[in-house]
Amino acid sequence: MSSRHNSIGRATRLAQLGAGLAGSYLAYQLQRPFLNERQNSERRHALGRKNAKQIREDLQDLRGPIMKLGQALSMQTHLFDSDVVEELAGLQMQAPPMHGTLMRAQFKSAFGENPEEVFGSFEPEPFAAASLGQVHWAVTKRGEEVAVKIQYPAIREAIETDFRMLRAVGFAARMTGHLQESVVREAERGILEETDYLNESRNIQYFAKHLAPLAFVRVPKVHSELSCEQVLTMSRVRGLRMREFLKTNPSQEVRDKIGIGLTRLFFFQLFRLQALHADPHPGNYLFDHDGSIGLVDFGCVKYLKPEVVPCYAQFWSREWVHDTELYADIIRVVFGPNVSPAEPRVRRCMNEIRRFYDEFHPLTEPPTALELADPKFMERLNELAKTLLKNKFLSPEFLFLSRTESGMCNLLHALQARVPTTQIAREWMPPIPRIKK
Amino acid sequence: MSILILFDNKLGSCLIMSVLIFMKRSREENKSKTKPKGKRDLNKEKTKEKILAAALELFRRNGLDGTTTKQISKKAGIAEGTLFNYFKTKEDLALFFFQKETHDLVRWYGKETRLQRAPLPEKLFAIIHRQLEYIAPYEEFIGAVFFRSLQLHSKLSPLSLESQELRLKYLRFVREVLAQAEEKQEIPRIGELGAYAVGLFYIGIVMHWLHDTSRGKQKTLALLDRSLSLATGVLKKGAWDW
Repeated sequence: MSSRHNSIGRATRLAQLGAGLAGSYLAYQLQRPFLNERQNSERRHALGRKNAKQIREDLQDLRGPIMKLGQALSMQTHLFDSDVVEELAGLQMQAPPMHGTLMRAQFKSAFGENPEEVFGSFEPEPFAAASLGQVHWAVTKRGEEVAVKIQYPAIREAIETDFRMLRAVGFAARMTGHLQESVVREAERGILEETDYLNESRNIQYFAKHLAPLAFVRVPKVHSELSCEQVLTMSRVRGLRMREFLKTNPSQEVRDKIGIGLTRLFFFQLFRLQALHADPHPGNYLFDHDGSIGLVDFGCVKYLKPEVVPCYAQFWSREWVHDTELYADIIRVVFGPNVSPAEPRVRRCMNEIRRFYDEFHPLTEPPTALELADPKFMERLNELAKTLLKNKFLSPEFLFLSRTESGMCNLLHALQARVPTTQIAREWMPPIPRIKK
Repeated sequence: MSILILFDNKLGSCLIMSVLIFMKRSREENKSKTKPKGKRDLNKEKTKEKILAAALELFRRNGLDGTTTKQISKKAGIAEGTLFNYFKTKEDLALFFFQKETHDLVRWYGKETRLQRAPLPEKLFAIIHRQLEYIAPYEEFIGAVFFRSLQLHSKLSPLSLESQELRLKYLRFVREVLAQAEEKQEIPRIGELGAYAVGLFYIGIVMHWLHDTSRGKQKTLALLDRSLSLATGVLKKGAWDW
């Protein structure tokens, strides 16, 4: 009964949000014939800003996956006006925090004691509040500076409710094939996994061990004795978040160094670890002027299936262009056995991907540095994303991989770094094996 | 129909009794301010608490219905006859438990200076959470009490004459908390009805809490937090004006 009550509550809030937006769009549509083109455009922008603000405020209150969706949308700079993107970007680290009493009650329900009793000192105001929990600075009784992540109560149930609702709302999209059930399932799995902090602590330990060859990457250390499913205690990682870092006016040299570091980090994870830190929103990267990168929040990690990496490597090597059997293998990995490689939409998407790689990652020697500040790159990337979406080129296996990749591109673009991406990709890319059947 | 009449009669007499008890209580409070408790009163109080502690342990083990007054008196180390001097029935014992709970709540809130400055949703959350923490060790007993309180003839019923004093004390306390929020213009003036609404809300939360099997009663925490935020939000936006 209670979960139903909560579901109804959340559904009502979302319905209100939808109704509010629809209402204001309706008002806009009604006024439209009476406005000239200039007024029309101004009104549309004002409406966009107003709605973006409303969406951000409502999503913040709802937290959970709906807020995650907003975060993901804020990274899709190609889909929205800059006003909307700016508002949604506010979601990345600013959910309304739990008040002190709720935070303590939640902590106590996990440890049986208040945080002030467990730690030497504890900062009651959260440093950051995100979609699933909030982070407090603290010092352990041994004097170590730590970040304590505390989860919102019953967030797992809220996520399940939201996905039930998203399935209902997205029924039409699923019927037309624009939103596959397997993709929704994969997204749900990823977000639900983020609610298990014990799983996250295992991810941190795995990445800390395996990213050791990249000396410029800093990963926190888990304090297992102070962690459980709803509370995660980690060592503090130094560095500034993207926005604050850019305010310090880093030189082009530092930007390039960090850009190269981010790219190396991505390809190392992909080709060597075959596992990805798959939550690439800017709040999860901490930058320093010495070029080092702090990586935090390992809730969403994707361990890739073995056949995915050689398949992805094929986008870079483009051997499939002259090899029909290889082409068929790629399509089988991406879509499973039910989609024919001969389908025109599939061929269209693959050609579009090839054209994109030919343009920005040419097979010529030696490869040149990619100007990420060049708006042309982001424009073409956005066009490619739109084409793939339009042609239903969506694969659950590639969902988190493409999310991470586009997140990295957004970071590099924000940094305005110049990065020899092709060279770095080739450096880490293993000899490409045939895709196993 | 007869139930309605009974209900009406009972409600009417409750209201009259409430006023009388309220007046009597105020006089007693004034008296007690001047006259400190004697040694005899303190001893009586101690014995009552000893009986309650023994009873709660037995209730936890055997349930409310499975515990006899004989067992309670034996456990408390007093004669069965003495037990009846203090508590006529097990329901009187349960009422004493809730009196202590309310007393503890009011005293605790008075000391929480930080909380008194907090926004209303946090205050109400803290108050209800404190109540839940108090009853948490006696979940089964609370469940049994809850079902008994639904029977009109029970002393534990919110309509019984015996429970009025306790009910009024709680409502008066909540009313004060809400009045502070009204004064600070956190919410519009909602008057007495606000205290009744919080009282009913608390009963709903206890019902949810009793059925909540999630770890650390997480779902109840979430329900409490979200519904209080939502209710305060609605009040602030003026949706109260009906």
